[in-house]
Amino acid sequence: MSGPPTRSTERLRLEAISKRFGATIALAEAGFEVRAGEIHALLGENGAGKTTLMNVLSGLYHADAGRIWLDGRPAEIAEPRDAIRHRIGMVHQHFELIPPLTALENVIIGQEGSTLLLRRERQARGVAALAARFGFEVDLRAPVAALGLADQQKVEILKAIFRGVDILILDEPTTVLTPQEADALLRTLRTMASEGLSVVFISHKIHEVLGHCDRATVMRAGRSVGTVDASATTEQALVEMMIGERVARTAAPAEREVDDTVLLRVDDVTVAGRGGLPAVSHARFSIGRGEVVGLAGVDGNGQRELVEAIVGLRRVTGGRVELGGRNVTTTAVGDRLAQGLAYIPEDRLGDGALPSMSVAENLFLGVHRLARGGGLTYRPAAIRAGAAAPVRDYAIRGTATTPLGMLSGGNIQKVLIARALAVAGHGDTPLVVAHNPTRGLDVRTTEFVRRCLVDVSRRRGGVFLVSSDLDELMQLAHRILVLFRGAIVADLPSTAFDAYEIGRLMTGAAARA
Amino acid sequence: MSASAVVTLLLDPELWRLMLTMAAPLVLAGLGELVMERSGVLNVGVEGMMAVAAAVAFLTMLKTGTLLGAAAAAMAATLGLAVVLGYFAITLRSAQLTVGLCLFVFGTGLASLLYRLVIGVTTATPTVQTLPRLAVPGLAEVPFLGTVVFTQNALVYLALALVPVLAFLLVETSLGLRLRAAGENPRALDTVGVNVRALRYGAVAVGGLLIGLAGAYLPLAVTGAYSDGIVGGRGWIALMVVIFGRWQPGWALVGAILFAYTEALQFKLALVTKAVPPQVLLMLPYVVAIVVLVRLYQGAEPPRALGLPYERESRL
Amino acid sequence: MRNALAEIAKYAFAFAVAALAGAVLVAVMRGDVLGAYRTFVWSSLGTAGGFAQTLNKMCPLLLGGLAVGLALRGGYFNIGVDGQIYAGAIAATGVALALETVANPALAPFAVVVGVLGGAAFAAIPAVLRAWWSVNEIFVTVMLNFVAVFLTEYLTTGPWNDVMAGEAITRLIPDAAKLPMLSVRAGSHVGIFLALASAVLVWLVLERTRWGFEVRALGDNERAARVAGIRTAWVTAAVLVASGALAGLAGAIEVTALHHRLILGLTPGYGIMAILIAVLGKARPLGILAASFAMAILLVGSDSLQRSVGLPASAALVFQALIVLSVLFVDAKRSVRA
Repeated sequence: MSGPPTRSTERLRLEAISKRFGATIALAEAGFEVRAGEIHALLGENGAGKTTLMNVLSGLYHADAGRIWLDGRPAEIAEPRDAIRHRIGMVHQHFELIPPLTALENVIIGQEGSTLLLRRERQARGVAALAARFGFEVDLRAPVAALGLADQQKVEILKAIFRGVDILILDEPTTVLTPQEADALLRTLRTMASEGLSVVFISHKIHEVLGHCDRATVMRAGRSVGTVDASATTEQALVEMMIGERVARTAAPAEREVDDTVLLRVDDVTVAGRGGLPAVSHARFSIGRGEVVGLAGVDGNGQRELVEAIVGLRRVTGGRVELGGRNVTTTAVGDRLAQGLAYIPEDRLGDGALPSMSVAENLFLGVHRLARGGGLTYRPAAIRAGAAAPVRDYAIRGTATTPLGMLSGGNIQKVLIARALAVAGHGDTPLVVAHNPTRGLDVRTTEFVRRCLVDVSRRRGGVFLVSSDLDELMQLAHRILVLFRGAIVADLPSTAFDAYEIGRLMTGAAARA
Repeated sequence: MSASAVVTLLLDPELWRLMLTMAAPLVLAGLGELVMERSGVLNVGVEGMMAVAAAVAFLTMLKTGTLLGAAAAAMAATLGLAVVLGYFAITLRSAQLTVGLCLFVFGTGLASLLYRLVIGVTTATPTVQTLPRLAVPGLAEVPFLGTVVFTQNALVYLALALVPVLAFLLVETSLGLRLRAAGENPRALDTVGVNVRALRYGAVAVGGLLIGLAGAYLPLAVTGAYSDGIVGGRGWIALMVVIFGRWQPGWALVGAILFAYTEALQFKLALVTKAVPPQVLLMLPYVVAIVVLVRLYQGAEPPRALGLPYERESRL
Repeated sequence: MRNALAEIAKYAFAFAVAALAGAVLVAVMRGDVLGAYRTFVWSSLGTAGGFAQTLNKMCPLLLGGLAVGLALRGGYFNIGVDGQIYAGAIAATGVALALETVANPALAPFAVVVGVLGGAAFAAIPAVLRAWWSVNEIFVTVMLNFVAVFLTEYLTTGPWNDVMAGEAITRLIPDAAKLPMLSVRAGSHVGIFLALASAVLVWLVLERTRWGFEVRALGDNERAARVAGIRTAWVTAAVLVASGALAGLAGAIEVTALHHRLILGLTPGYGIMAILIAVLGKARPLGILAASFAMAILLVGSDSLQRSVGLPASAALVFQALIVLSVLFVDAKRSVRA
């Protein structure tokens, strides 16, 4: 029997929360307790249940079992509006904003202040004052779609505190920020906490937790493993709590055996963006055999456009793209693919997966234009048989005939990677273009994916790795390019890798001479 | 025909008046669809719903002789169909395009069935009195505009008045803000404690009522009779009007007027020329629609959640 | 096993809904409900003539269903099957009338081929607009239905009109252009074989060719298909044209095997029934085959009720739509619960 908790410092307690989605158990009696005025980290790898648990707290998910205590009293949270009433606010990882509406409209929606007319001016004054107080100033009149990610995050936080919060949940808030922006946010949160706010900080980055949080609750496979004081623990201890065992970092940095043969040359490439402004302007770089070239940048600075221009999905408005010395600037996607240019898209489900078709058919897609023999015919038996090897080698959970949409994100990504590597293996210019290939994956799959990419370079293929994870880039790449507003502002050799310096470049600080 | 004769024909006030008369059903149905789509629900069954409304309105008018009763009965019928669509789209989270198409077929059949059941097979087509024109005192005498705008039937005035009302509602009220949000990102709206489901049902109901009025308009204000082809693609054109108008009421009105002009022009041309077969003239509005379609999608950005069911507990 | 039973229960429920609606209608019209059921089944399945009728109706429904289904597999909605049926019928009639004096037995197959091409050509308009201009194919095909109807009205009342008939019909096509009957006594024609062959062909193309694989990939996720190097514009255009060709074949068969002339009202909404059939058959040739047979029975059965109790012809469409809506309802209900 736990009984009502003491009221001294405890603000929130989650008790034995369970939640399942169909056959998957997302939460198994998870729980933890948060004090007033603390920054409490919820740490765990992707899929551990952190977000699900917080979605329960914010009323978005209905728990199958468990109890929520607020200030020592049991609280019933069945709907988001209950959470709002209990002064709980959540900043979602993928912001819950309405892009065409203005920042102000996004902040006040649901609490417009009057039943009929929107009184924008009056509301704007209040919101602006609130923003100024906490240092979240943004252009309230601008449509959210026109704001950068850091500003969008400010709008999300404003939205929460505008409703009045005692508990503010932030889901992986630093992933969209540069190191400098992340520091600023954490400082602000510290100030707010010192005024009594409780912050729940979801993260999978241990150093953030150790550096900025008071306590941390570690989650693993839907359970809470334990809560520790940040000052009284170590990185290694937290890792073991998160993973449950020692997992060595397997993806060692690639051996630097770069040879002079150029696989890809991007020469002065410009791509038109929205509203006439170039999304990519005068990009110039090349990738040699055996080389992993990283591209760093805050999301939305032209990464997608540049990648799609290289792959052939987007028209180039200026410049040239060469594959193995051949000009492919206007060549169709399929023909580039035939040369060995493989693409692992960022949007796995949108750009990569055929959800209702089988694993075998998904592995065959793209490769089907390269496979010799067969000509026009399509032999399901042969295609199923051909899928056996990749399903085994990539440890894909499922069989050749499982519809891809039934698999988890990590397994879908394995299928896409198997396919990409098969494409690269078919051509004479093996080059893998990977856009955020490990986003949202658990540690094991992440390591697996990284190892695959390193293997490509070991086999003298090239890798163009576009990632918003700086650690990943610094670990895998031989060189890092920095993209800012569509321009490549730096080309750094591995000796010059420095997270803060790259962070500076990502936000537009001019490259040092 | 000389150039000046062509200009005279194209600018004929009677032609423009007919244009506005024919624009009204497109405006009403277009606004109804717009409200639904802004909330995130796609209804491609407009054509079938209008057909049902036309049949019900005509039959009620024939049997009771009350205009209001006829309009109300038609609107109730389409409200029912809209709720069915809403149930599939919102509660059951079905593929909205598929359900909409089935409702289109269902409505097409139902309209015809109702008429045959009530009227039976007759040689003389029964007719009803159409809505009278109401001249607005004073304004009706204004040259050109008076004839075009101010000697219309009551429903035309209503349709025109609804355009600014809806535009204001969407932009300047809390309800409009929430409606727009429901069609763009229902989860965002849900997280701030607004009931997305209720909002969408409301929008579907309002849309259904307006589409019903549009269908009722055809026998009550234009033909005075019912025939199976009475809607004649206007339901589909109403859907295009929404896209043409970029989901804005004002621009939707412009689109409705454009389509209605070609329709009115075809009537007019049939009167003045015998050289062209009437069927070729009848094709005109549809051919124009296809030509317009070619440009219709360029730069069109539908509400991001249009046609997508919202499920709070779906895992992202 | 449980799944199979649940599927059977689903269709049983759907047909029960339609049967109930039918009973209500007959009762409203003060008819004998049980007698009506008997007439319904007897007229469509119980006699050779009735069964021939059913097969004759099944022919355009199956081809139309395949047309909609094929496009649907590629991710597109062809709502213009009626227009394409007319286009095929016009083309077949045109060539048959133009070659009236040629008494060559090859004229019939030639007219059919021209009809197929007519349907394909008419569908090429939405195909090209969709593939290279991203114009929504639903709107274009719907608008073209109206164009096709007015064109048919013009031809049947104008240049090709049978002046003796006083109706919107053309002159009879020459005997050489007529497809043979299957059974003269029962009144069935060979069209059903062409339709069945088309179903097999569509299945083969979709499931056993790489092009078919590309169509299926396109239908499942257009972006992913494009990213994987499939020339999606060409596949889109081709699948819509092929869809039109199937509808064109239906039109050609209606002219060369059934009516032997072009008539206004050649298709009493086969195109919109085809939408229902494709949805009911889940866009699979085998499913479409079964669905078109069921819908043909409904059409012929309802037709006989029109004669016996005065049930309006449009009731069939309502029943068909009710069946499909009921199936969609059960499917959706199940997936919501899962």
